[in-house]
Amino acid sequence: MKTSKCNLSIACGIAMVVIMLALPSRLPGQTATEKSSAKSEKSATQWSVQVDQVDASNLDLSYSFQIAIYENLVEELNKTKQFQQVFRDGDVRTGELPNLLVLKTTVQKYTPGSETRRAVTTVSGATKLTVRSQLLTREGKIVFERTVNGDVRFFGSNLRATRNLAHNVAKTIKQSSWSSSGQLTAPLTGQL
Amino acid sequence: MNRFVVSRSYSWSYLQGRHHALWLSTVLLCCSLTATAQTITQPGDISAPFSTRATHLLGFANTRNNSTGTLSVQEDSLQFQENGKPGAQVKIGSVRDVFLGAESKQVGGLPMTLGKTAAPFGGGRVVSLFAHKKYDTLTLEYVDADGGIHGAVFQLEKGKAEAVKNDLIAHGVTISSHQDQATKESATEAKHENK
Repeated sequence: MKTSKCNLSIACGIAMVVIMLALPSRLPGQTATEKSSAKSEKSATQWSVQVDQVDASNLDLSYSFQIAIYENLVEELNKTKQFQQVFRDGDVRTGELPNLLVLKTTVQKYTPGSETRRAVTTVSGATKLTVRSQLLTREGKIVFERTVNGDVRFFGSNLRATRNLAHNVAKTIKQSSWSSSGQLTAPLTGQL
Repeated sequence: MNRFVVSRSYSWSYLQGRHHALWLSTVLLCCSLTATAQTITQPGDISAPFSTRATHLLGFANTRNNSTGTLSVQEDSLQFQENGKPGAQVKIGSVRDVFLGAESKQVGGLPMTLGKTAAPFGGGRVVSLFAHKKYDTLTLEYVDADGGIHGAVFQLEKGKAEAVKNDLIAHGVTISSHQDQATKESATEAKHENK
């Protein structure tokens, strides 16, 4: 009787140990499968983006600025690694892609500055750019819309404003909830 | 009675003068010939490659941003060669548009900026008033093999961008539009810089 009780307690102990050992090993397994399923889901909804040329919308914005914004946007979006591929405007390879978004950039405000004025006065001569960035699907549905600023206030040439602007646009897209979910939901509008 | 007497020494010096004049005219003729040879390499003549010093600001294929080198128009390509490195080139046929602009920049780069910041009694600001230089900007729009649009911006010495543009036109680049705006833009930027 005494030995059977002892055996039972030993069996219970062993069972508990087995359960204790099995649980943590099972939990990482669960997270791994969850991770892999999330990864596969994300890869399933991985989007590519095509950067359209900048629309200056009747503003007196020089072509060097328009081209610089466009080139910097391509570079900065590549750096974020948020998109499977970043295409340029007019790229024929986008024709067959199923998950393609189009980034449209419209310049809303441009304040031309002067490097000399910045160097002499410090407080004036800033070059400022304000653009409206939109991510659209092929069907024209807007999934992301923001107003983004870029400027150069102290050091650097006027063209540096375009680099700062492109960096801010890429950062805004990366930080947006659309980017984290990868799902097409209601358009996100706002201002940075 | 009144004979016109020319001294021997005077006639000798006159002859020497003639020799000098002949020598000088020969030198001038050679100089003018050299000048003509130089104008042959000027833009517009597509037989000789045209090249000029330029700073690549951004966008040109396989080239580092803000690098200095030589921009040249070859037979069928536009080439930018960094100092001591192999050149990157783009087919002239793929160039869609060329735009000109003007910029005023502070000279001296980062060392000068630091020096101006460290100068006492606002001396650096006074230096900044005079330490700027006007440049031309040359903006190119070209397409790659997949049809994707690229843009490149170069900074050249004042007056050189027009020469490159003319040479590109001579090589068959068609400037599609915006010509009036290009000049207007330059004028506007210059106005802002002069403020």
